[in-house]
Amino acid sequence: MKNKKVFFCSAFKYVVPADYERWFEELAAACWHPVKIGQWSSVVMRFEKSEPKKYRYVVDMQPVLKKDYKQTYEEFGWEYVGQMASAHVWRMLYTDERPESFSDAPSREARNKRFIGAISVSFAIFLIAAIACVAGARFSDLASSERLQFSIAAALFFLLAILLGFVMSKVKKNIDR
Amino acid sequence: MNIKKIKKRFIPMSETMLYILFSLREEQHGYGVMQHVKKLTGGRIVLGAGTIYQSLGKLATDGLISPTREIERKKLYLITKIGEQILIEEAKRIQEIYLNLEVLL
Repeated sequence: MKNKKVFFCSAFKYVVPADYERWFEELAAACWHPVKIGQWSSVVMRFEKSEPKKYRYVVDMQPVLKKDYKQTYEEFGWEYVGQMASAHVWRMLYTDERPESFSDAPSREARNKRFIGAISVSFAIFLIAAIACVAGARFSDLASSERLQFSIAAALFFLLAILLGFVMSKVKKNIDR
Repeated sequence: MNIKKIKKRFIPMSETMLYILFSLREEQHGYGVMQHVKKLTGGRIVLGAGTIYQSLGKLATDGLISPTREIERKKLYLITKIGEQILIEEAKRIQEIYLNLEVLL
């Protein structure tokens, strides 16, 4: 029986932080635990099989970390699992009530707004890149093959911007979770 | 930030924020605030780490609380004069609500 599993693009499948947390928890209950969470784990994440555990996972977006961030979580009994870009992953073993890191609606909304803010930066970059490629293809003095390359690039950038727009809208619809 | 802007930003205040600010009339660190609020509310409100970190950051940035010192890597905070002013304003607002609704109780 295999003791290792690899998940691709998990962060893109579960774009709402609360859904991503549940995904981790369901895997932990089914004996699967992440080996390491690092910069590229949103694309490739490795899991190892061991004992089933009742973990509460938390995904928190913190683009700028203050000195006491990790200290605060650790004081409350959370274990640091890792960081994917600005998203920090924490977990805690529990038995009775599922512990909360964001214990009221305003702080859950603030966490989700930080996610939307981080995604909106990439959204703006892709949109600007797409517009620049369209402008390049339309107005510059290029050969037709180069125009085609610009047009393909513009289409790809637009597609990525649309996908990110969809992600932001989905997180916004689930802002209070 | 001037007091008018701070009032606009913090009043009305969420219950969580109110209890955190109220707890910091005494110097405390994040975990201490959580324990204090839990005791005050008879276990009804148990503040999470993310909520505490976020709220302390917001209150400190706007000058309602300020860090005082560190003990064993734990940062301690205390309410400022502006924080006290905001807390009193909010208490008056809640008192007004209470007096108006008292007939229902």
